[in-house]
Parts: sequence; C-alpha cells; structure tokens
Amino acid sequence: MELNALDQEFMHSGHVGCPGCGAAIAMRFFLKALGDKTIMVLPACCWSVIAGPYPQSTLKIPLIHSAFETGGAVASGVRAALDMKGDRETTVVTWAGDGGTFDIGFQALSGAVERNEDFIYVCYDNEAYMNTGIQRSSSTPYGAWTTTTPGTDWKKLRKKNIVEALVAHRIPYAATANIAFPEDLVRKAQKAKSIKGSRFIHVYASCPTGWRIPSEMSIKIARMAVQTNIFPLYEVEDGLRYTINYKPKEYLVREYFRLQGRFRHLTDKDLDQIQEMVNEDWELLLRKAGEHA
Amino acid sequence: MAGSKVQKIDIPLFMPRSYMSTEVNKTGSWRFLRPRYDEKTAPCSAACPAGEDIARIEMLTTQGLFKEAWETILKENPFPAVCGRVCFHPCEGVCNRGEFDTAVAIHVMERFLAETALRYDLKPLLEQSPGKKEKVAIVGAGPSGLSAACFLNRLGYACDVFEAASEPGGILRWGIPEYRLPLPALRSEIARIESAGVRIITNKRLPADFAVGAKGNYDAVFIGCGHGRTTMLRIPGEDSSGVEDGLEFLNRIRRGAKPPVDGLSAVIGGGNTAVDVARSILRLGGKAVILYRRRRQDMPAFQEEVEMALEEGVELKELLAPARIVKDRKGLLITMRPMKVAGEDESGRGRVEPAGGKTQEFRVRRVFKATGAEAVEEWLNPPGRQRNVLLLENCVLVNRAKGPAVVFGGDLTNETKSVAHAVASGKAAAIALDTFFREGFKAVRSRLKSCAVGNGKALSMEIYMGGERRLRNPHVVRFGEINTDYFHFAPRITQPRLMKEERLNTFKEIDLKISANLAIREAERCFNCGVCNRCDNCYLFCPDLSVIREQDLVGRHVNYDYCKGCGLCVVECPRNAMTLEEEKR
Repeated sequence: MELNALDQEFMHSGHVGCPGCGAAIAMRFFLKALGDKTIMVLPACCWSVIAGPYPQSTLKIPLIHSAFETGGAVASGVRAALDMKGDRETTVVTWAGDGGTFDIGFQALSGAVERNEDFIYVCYDNEAYMNTGIQRSSSTPYGAWTTTTPGTDWKKLRKKNIVEALVAHRIPYAATANIAFPEDLVRKAQKAKSIKGSRFIHVYASCPTGWRIPSEMSIKIARMAVQTNIFPLYEVEDGLRYTINYKPKEYLVREYFRLQGRFRHLTDKDLDQIQEMVNEDWELLLRKAGEHA
Repeated sequence: MAGSKVQKIDIPLFMPRSYMSTEVNKTGSWRFLRPRYDEKTAPCSAACPAGEDIARIEMLTTQGLFKEAWETILKENPFPAVCGRVCFHPCEGVCNRGEFDTAVAIHVMERFLAETALRYDLKPLLEQSPGKKEKVAIVGAGPSGLSAACFLNRLGYACDVFEAASEPGGILRWGIPEYRLPLPALRSEIARIESAGVRIITNKRLPADFAVGAKGNYDAVFIGCGHGRTTMLRIPGEDSSGVEDGLEFLNRIRRGAKPPVDGLSAVIGGGNTAVDVARSILRLGGKAVILYRRRRQDMPAFQEEVEMALEEGVELKELLAPARIVKDRKGLLITMRPMKVAGEDESGRGRVEPAGGKTQEFRVRRVFKATGAEAVEEWLNPPGRQRNVLLLENCVLVNRAKGPAVVFGGDLTNETKSVAHAVASGKAAAIALDTFFREGFKAVRSRLKSCAVGNGKALSMEIYMGGERRLRNPHVVRFGEINTDYFHFAPRITQPRLMKEERLNTFKEIDLKISANLAIREAERCFNCGVCNRCDNCYLFCPDLSVIREQDLVGRHVNYDYCKGCGLCVVECPRNAMTLEEEKR
C-alpha cells in the first residue's frame, strides 16, 4: 500500500501528548485511514488530555468526550442518532485507552458488541493508566513496574488477552495493530471501516513516559514487541477465521525488556519465565490459526 | 402533591463545544533536542579514489533515473564504462551492507549505467564553468591525462592532449586485454570527452624540453605518460631471446597481432598485468604458469581475476623468486628460489624473504616479465620536495619561475596504480591548476582539502564547483548508524559471465550485460548511507505533525514551532540522513 496516498492530515499540531507519544501516532494513522466522515467517542484516557483543553481540539473531526466506563454505550447512542438522521456514511469510532477498555469500560464494550452495534472500537494500549500517574491496569504486562506495583511488588499477573475476549463475542472483525507497522495498521483500519457491525482493533501504542524509555525509542520498541512475539499482528473474522499477518524473526524477549526502565528489576530467571509465557501464547495463537507450531 | 400543576422549566441543552484548534500551543518550546536534516558521507564514496557519489547513484538507479545516475557518476569520473569493468572497487570493501549480508555490487551498477547510456546514446548535461583565458597542454592520453583534460575543460580551460600512439586511451587502449575492456566501451568514453571540446592530437611524441618550450602557447602542462616500461628483474639471463616484456606483449595483441605462444610460458609477477598476460597466452593457444614471490592473497591483481585465471587453466606457483634464466637448445630454463613469509607490511600484505633450501627449475618456451613498470624516460618523473613543488595526493604541482606550471600525475605520481587513481589524479590536477590560476600557488593545498569527500583522500569536483554535495556532512556513516530494521536480507547479484569453455579461444568480453530489472533490484540493496531517498519515515512517524513535505515533494523540513524534539524521525531514518543535537536557544 502506498502510504503516500494518505497525504491528508486530520489532526492539528500543538496537541499536548508527551514527546514520542505512541497514542498520538496511532490516532494520526487511523484518521488518515478513516477519513473525515468519522465521529469519535473518547472515554477518559490519555487522549482526553492530548486532544487539548477546552475550548481547543486537536482533531479536525467531531469528537465527543465521555465518561470513563461509557465508550461502548455512547458509541451505540451516536450510531443510533446517525441512523435516525439517515446518515449511514459516517463511521463511529470509540477511541479508548487500555483502562477504558480492559477494566472500567469493559461492561459497556461487552454489551455493545454483544448487540453487534455498528461501530469501530479502537483500544490504543499503553499498558497502564498513564495520564493519571502510571497505575497498573489489567493490560499491564507481567513483570512491569508501575506506581501501584512498585519495587519488589512488580506486577506478577498476566496481561489480559483482550482480543480473545472480544473474539469470544463472535464479532465480525477483531484485529491487533502496531504503530511501528503503519501499512498493516492502515489496511486494518480501512478493512474495519468496510465491515458492518462491531469491530475491534487493539493497537499497541508505546508510552515513553510510563515505560521509562527514551522518547526516540518508542517506534523501535513497538516494532520489537512484534518481532519478539510479545504482540503478534493478527486478525480474526467472525470470531473464527484467524490470519497471522506477520511472522516474526523470533527475537528473544529479553532484548525488548532490556530497553525499558519499567522492566529494569527483572532477573535472567524472570526473563526466561517470560520467554516461556510468550512462547506458550504464540503457540496457542498458531493453533487457533491452524498453523500448528 | 396530587392535583398541583407541574411547572415546566425550560432547561437549555448545553454541551460545551470546542471552537479552536490546538495550534495556539507552540509545543516547540518543550524541546531540548533538535532534529535536523543532515546528509552525511557514505563510506563507499569516501573510499572511491574518484569520490563518486555512490549512495546517490544507487538511489537514482532504484528510482529508474538511469540518466541522472549516470550523470552523477560523470560529475566525478569521466570513465564509468571503463571503471565499471576494470576498477578494483575499493568501494565494495567498505560497504556497510557487507556487515549486514554482502556488499552491494557497485561496479556492476556502474557498468550497467554506462551500458545504458551507450545503448540509448545519452548526452550528459553537466555543469560547465565559463571559459577562461588560460590554455593547458596535456602529455599522454591515458586515463589520467584524459581525466585532467575533461575536468579542466569543464572548469573552462582549453586543453590540447598530445599522444604518442595512434589512438588515445593509454593503458586502457594498449594494455588491458579486450576480454576485460572492449574497445567500443572505451571509444565511447573518449568520444564524449572530445565532443565536450577537448582536442586530442595523436602520433605526437613530445621532446623532453617540451614543458620549457611550451611558454607562450600554454599556461600549464600536465604530464601523465604513465609507466610504459617493465622494470628489470636484475637476474642473469634476463636479456636472452624468449624473455619478453609483459606490457609489450599485451600491447602487441591490442595492436592486432597474434604473437606465438606455443608450449608453456612462465609469467613472473603478481599484478593485473601478470594475470592479463597469462590469460592472453591461454586465449592464443598456449599454456601459462604464473611465478610469484609472495602468496596468492598478497597478489595486487584483483582476486576475481586470479580466480577466473585459475579456472581457465592458468597455473600459479607461490613463494618463488626468479634467480636466473638459461637459454639452451630446448628453450629456457628458469631457476626459482623459494621464499618464505616473514611478517606483514603496513597494508597487511605478506613480507617475504629467501627461505634457503632447494631451488626449483621450470622448463619453458618463453618468460614474460610483469613485475611492475616505470617511466619510459627520466624527465617524466616528478621532482622531489622543493620550495616551489607541491606534493599532493595523486599529483605533483611544480610552480616554475619561468615557463608554464607543470603538474605530474597518473602512474608517475600515484602510489596505487589504478584507473580510479588516475582519474583522481586528473581531477586533483584540474582543481590544483584552477586554484593556482585564480588564487595563487599558496591557496592550492587548502582548496584541495576543502573539496575532500568525507575528509578523506578523494576529491569531489561537484563540491569544488559548488554543487549541492558541498552541504553534506563529512562524517562517514558507520554500519551501527544504519537502522537495519528497514532492510531485508537479499542476495548480491551474480555477475553473468561467459562459460569457461566460451572464453578460451576468444578475446570476447567475459562479463555479460544485466537487465534493468536486476540492476534496480541490486541498487535497492544499497542502504544509501547518509543520503535522503525520501522514504518519508520522518514524516510518517512524527507524533506532532511537524515534518513538513514541501510542495515539490522533494524537500522536507521540520516545523520547530511544534516539534517537541522526541527524536523519532532521527532514529527511524533508515540511513542516518538526520541528526539530533542539543537545542541551543
């Protein structure tokens, strides 16, 4: 795909995302893919801040700020209103962080997709509650430091597999995407747009501030998440048909962990254990995709 | 309260709506690091004696802009068709891609571009300085003389080239066998130089006092007659009949003769001339053994040539130095003394000394000497260190009190005797003379330094003439500075060749042409170290929309009003064409 074809910008400069913000990059790519016939619903998340303080907005499309737990519900309502107006053209997108998706907004999301509401739900995942001060979420990966899992109390629980939870709802389309793979991301956004019903895209969006990484490394680390199998790129249609989009080079996970301050405390033994967990998840995915390891 | 009337209050629906963009926030004030576009120097271009802008040449080839790529070569080297074939390509030895998988086949691309230009009869559009009043005489129409003439001509000087032989080209015409450098390729390059306005006068051997007598007619003389005489072996029996000069032998073949080479011939030496002689003997129906006093890996001949020679059936005997030659009824008996390796010289080549022990004898019909060459006449050698003499890289400038200035160049002055160094010599001479005429003798050295490629030895005519290349940072990009995530392993192109059997009874060129398709694929392997190829990673990954593509889609710039200095553009640039530096406000 020619990314150059997507020359139009639907964002303004001057937003207040941190330097190197992965969530800002994710938004930019998505809007390029979706175009201006889009309404965005924004439950509380980093982007509530990034979009600018009242009366500013950094997006060139309509955007509704909503309460933390209501992403799925508000989008359902916006869709219904558009339908009543006879507008079938506009795409409704919920743009939520991992907290608003995995934890606080999960009920509304699950309800909405169970009803197969016609909207795209994008979770940009930076693996903790970042704008409130880096508190752990159920998306925070095993081994990570956060302000609520400090010191030796680093998170010793697995990250919730949100895509599989959504796939279990048998929605028409669920996919993972990553800011370091813009062509794949744009293709998935456009594919989602072309499908009716509930669509879910889980986007890996690195966070230099919360992950304790240099801002210039945020794409590199995002790329490594895919290359190490920590965040595989795949898509699932109708909750059944799995396609793995990228066969990684099988880099060792320790390369990925070593670059990030939030994992600095991990010992070689911990990293070996994490490697095993990653391998296990990857094999599970291969089995689902019918590509037995 | 049953029955009471409910008062209807009209509560207006109020939803706060944003009405301005975030562009009022000049987030550039957050920045403490500053990215900027900063094109750097590729290692290949710094290693190329002619300083060709290889990273850019490959980039243009990738885009299918073959004429522009060819012109980019011509800016620095008037002989792409020659160098694409016979250069020893030091560029490939330092190619950063070599640390990734294998080096880019730069010489194959060079030859491809020259072939393409020849096939479509392309005429280059090169920058030309306005005419100047000074005239320059050039002695010898070899690669250094023709290069000097070509570059001087481009700088606006009228040049006359004097050549003793019947046709210009020097070693390229008379010394390198046709299977390595076919005549049409050479002639097309010389024709291009002539059509640019250089006058070549053949069959004109100049006397030793020419430079003195040239006063009035010429303001400077370039002497680049090369080394035409093979050095002596200094052993008994060297002057026996049947002991021949290797260069002279090659020359006779290039003049159209078929010298007799029946039986076994010994070739003494390890340079390209030795290998050329041996392989020519094979093609004329003889057999050849190369006797070399060091080892195969120490041979100055190109490894590929040696390999092909062995494949064709040339024998190689290492660590043998000639002791004497005896002529008898049956032919020649050459006695060789065994040598042994004793350490290494500065360049890593083995140093040898006599090993003692038994000598070896070879019964041969002929012996060809190819142990190096020297100037044919003494006056052709440059003077040593003096006040009015500038010993420069690849040339020597003599500012004579009376008469025109004299520049010695080519093999007469070059430490490494190669075509690329001859081109470098001609270029250095042209820049030195132009500076000498315009700014005086004292300015020459610093001016030459100012147009070095990557602060190395190679000079760039484009930089000297004020082209865009002068803006490049001289920093030579290292492999570690390339973002290899953006490159995939890809095998290097295999040069298609005549089969061994097809080569042996003909002087037809061995290397075959490659298609544009293959050339583009090979060019795509190039990292384009330090040179922006507009891949747009900087633009794509900027979280702050601060990389602006200009209307022409060629330029890029950073909008410092909003750039927060995250550095992503610099790190994600695959080829290190950007730099992140401290913000000084």
